[in-house]
Amino acid sequence: MVKPFAAPSFVRTFGLVFLAIVILSVADEFLARLETKETQIEASHFFNQALALMQQGDNAAAIGRIQDAIANGHNNRTYQRTLAEAQLAAGDTAAAESTLSELLQSDSTDAHSNLILARVLAKEGRFDTAVVYYHRAIYGHWDRDQPNNRLHARFELINLLAQRGDKEALLAELLPVRETAPRDAKTRTWLGRLFLQAGSGSQAADVFRGITHDDPMDAQAHAGLGEAEFAQGDYRPADREFQTALRLAPDDQSIRQRLDLSNELLALDPSLRELTPDERFRRSVKLVQLTLDDARQCAGANPSPELQPLLEKADGALKAEVKPAHQSEAAELNLDLAEQLWQARRKDCKLPPAADSPLALVLARLAQ
Amino acid sequence: MASVGETPSPSASSAIDTDQSSNLIARLRGRLERLRYSEDQLMLVLSLVVGAVVGLVVVAFILLTGRLAARMYPPGGSGLRRILVPVLGSLGTGYLLWRYFPNARGSGIPQTKFALFINDGRIMFRTVFGKFFCCSASLATGIALGREGPSVQVGGGIASMIARNLGLPPKYVKALVPAGCAAALAAAFNTPIAAVLFSLEEIMGDLHASVLGSVVLSSATSWMVLHLVLGDEPLFHVAGYKLVNPAEFGVYAVLGVVGGLGSVCFTKLLLGLRAWFLRQPKWTVWFQPVVGGLLTGVMGFFVPEVMGVGYNHVEKVLNGDIVLKMVILFAVLKIIATSVCYASGNAGGIFGPALFIGAMMGAAVGGVAHSLFPAVTAGPGAYALVGMGTAFAGIVRTPLTSVCMIFEITRDYTIIVPLMISNLIAFFISQKLQKMPIYEALAYQEGVHMPSARSRSETEQTQVRLVMRTEPPVLSPDLLIAEALRKMNGGAFNALPVVDAESLLGMIRASELEQVAEDGASNKRVAELLPEGPLNSDPTTEEFPHVHPDHRLSLTLERMGTTGMNVLPVVSRANVHQLLGIVALDDILGAYGVGKQGSHEDRSE
Repeated sequence: MVKPFAAPSFVRTFGLVFLAIVILSVADEFLARLETKETQIEASHFFNQALALMQQGDNAAAIGRIQDAIANGHNNRTYQRTLAEAQLAAGDTAAAESTLSELLQSDSTDAHSNLILARVLAKEGRFDTAVVYYHRAIYGHWDRDQPNNRLHARFELINLLAQRGDKEALLAELLPVRETAPRDAKTRTWLGRLFLQAGSGSQAADVFRGITHDDPMDAQAHAGLGEAEFAQGDYRPADREFQTALRLAPDDQSIRQRLDLSNELLALDPSLRELTPDERFRRSVKLVQLTLDDARQCAGANPSPELQPLLEKADGALKAEVKPAHQSEAAELNLDLAEQLWQARRKDCKLPPAADSPLALVLARLAQ
Repeated sequence: MASVGETPSPSASSAIDTDQSSNLIARLRGRLERLRYSEDQLMLVLSLVVGAVVGLVVVAFILLTGRLAARMYPPGGSGLRRILVPVLGSLGTGYLLWRYFPNARGSGIPQTKFALFINDGRIMFRTVFGKFFCCSASLATGIALGREGPSVQVGGGIASMIARNLGLPPKYVKALVPAGCAAALAAAFNTPIAAVLFSLEEIMGDLHASVLGSVVLSSATSWMVLHLVLGDEPLFHVAGYKLVNPAEFGVYAVLGVVGGLGSVCFTKLLLGLRAWFLRQPKWTVWFQPVVGGLLTGVMGFFVPEVMGVGYNHVEKVLNGDIVLKMVILFAVLKIIATSVCYASGNAGGIFGPALFIGAMMGAAVGGVAHSLFPAVTAGPGAYALVGMGTAFAGIVRTPLTSVCMIFEITRDYTIIVPLMISNLIAFFISQKLQKMPIYEALAYQEGVHMPSARSRSETEQTQVRLVMRTEPPVLSPDLLIAEALRKMNGGAFNALPVVDAESLLGMIRASELEQVAEDGASNKRVAELLPEGPLNSDPTTEEFPHVHPDHRLSLTLERMGTTGMNVLPVVSRANVHQLLGIVALDDILGAYGVGKQGSHEDRSE
């Protein structure tokens, strides 16, 4: 018979061991839960301190507190994101980038982390890469309130593009949000202005028209619509909108200035349809006179050989006697001359003309 | 009887349930009983059981220590607490250690090795309990020691208790102790591979130990338990570091030198202080730990980072968050605090402090290097990481475990090569400047002469190959008995191998030849005395006495005793009938320095 390898107390010992395993499992579970609970409370305590410090602008101290919170709650992505935000606010973009890279390594679709990294990159001046991360934030996953957060990420990108004056990219970002943006007047006014900045007067006009339709008493919307019409060269409707806006907000000096400008343009523009031939001729003469004065002032005593004959030609045109029957023909010649003179002046002069001067605007419209 | 489809009454249902339970218990009992007769199956099951129990106990130890510490030092607590708590803690645990748990003092590694090599693997329940309780209290009060060494003793102790209670022979108790140690370290550090290596490299001192299977199984089980309870959290959360430039190898080599020197300073200081405390009168032993507690408290009042294990500060350094001056200060203070706490007899280990000191030294070297050569060096965090390994290799003297441990902690392969370079340099320097490894030296101070890895290796070197004679005297099978007898009587051996042109046929004793000669058959041939039949390709030792060149001399002596021969043939492992030489009793005694004068001169025979 085979000799047993262990003692008779064998089964009893195994029983005791299994009982010990059960008791230890329960004790471990209890202790683990207690630890989780207590460390979470401690981490939360540190985190709240950090938030208060960040509000006071003491980002360096806040970073220390957040790190303490992270030490107690490693898997809390909010703590790590806030750490990156504090590092960014403290100007340590390299540390913020490192923190966020780690977060994104574990979840590249984390939209919030992508958004903070986009801010970090924008602060570092790496705009092209920043735009990529803004897009990841827009199309990534948000833990809560996804549509709203996505929209705000896009708004932030829009603001960045607007600041950089990148009109094409700005328009590309504005078009998708036109329908999804909140319908409140403030947001729509902001959007309308950005459409104007992106060079899309028609989109801006649509936006402002929508606002004035919903609230005819919104002075800013009327002023915005005026700007949109103005940008499209429709000075008459622009003038009307500015007048409405000024009536609604009589103390708004910016609206008054825009109204004055539009009035000047309306008084100068020879291309308006309702003008009589006589009036059109008179305006063309005035336009030649203003262009000549501007060119002389700019060129001084020694105009270029290219400009000189045009100056002389303009002098001649101003002195010429024109019979009423030839006024239409003379008006066309005057407008051509004014345009030529304006082109020659732009080449000859070091200082560019003011972009929003009535003369420049009218000549630009004529050139179109 | 209930018909088909009829619902049984509650009492009948309960009776069925009871019967089924009884059957289940009986079956389980039967299976367990069968295990008693199968060594392999039992060891397999015990490795799993030890892994699970040790894993659960170590997890409880870690959690309990953490929660107690949180209560001792609540956020916003007074600075005076940092002086009072460690003093009172060390006073309380000091008394308990002196009065009830004298074997639970210190790290636990030397004690475990003592139990394994000298005490047949016996670690008593009182020691395990005392270690668990006193270390939890001690570490929670902020004593600057670690929890991993004590965990190893607790793990080894649990394995020992289970094996002894099962009535297993000492051989199996000793086989399970390293499994318990590996399980404990796997749970304490969350590094299952390093735990296996540590158990073999440090505890067993033999990477080829036969207990490898049990150790691996136990470590893996314990690691799984840890993950089930605490989830997949590495000991340190570290950013991925990489070698920035090949020139960095030079800086890592410098770190190896610094780590090695720092390790030697720490070891010598700790051993010197321990020797001083041991010289103090016996009646002071119970309050000696207070010296460690008071020093830690005073240091902690000004620099709280010195207190406790300090892993949260290690993590900060690993992420490059502490300034250069501070890391140097932390390293120096921790070396002093840990040395005094350990030497004064507090309960706790030096693994954790070794990692802390290494991280600080690494960060200091890295900080200087990065400020001098920012373009070609990584941040201080990368050096702190490698520094942990160098200190571990230098202090604990387990370079392989150290490399593996850092790899497991970071889970980053790219740092491995610099880590290996630094570790080996630190290990080499430490070995040169501090001959005896720290655990061996600590045991030595306590009066225990532990078999060192070197001495065990030397034992392994006393193999047959070193003393065998390669041109032995042999008998031909065609030789007449009388001639054979004459030849044998002319020599010092009581038996000789019989060899034909191709192979060894067997051994012939002088007594057999004499018997045949007395019977008047001297004209017979030697071959006629050999067993008849074809040669067995795999004969037993009894049928065919022999040894192999790699056999230990002790085994050879054993076989000589069994066969009554003072000489044995040395045969190839590939072909037992291929004679490589002979090994004689005189040669063995000569190897141990007790042989007859001139016995070695006989070798030319």
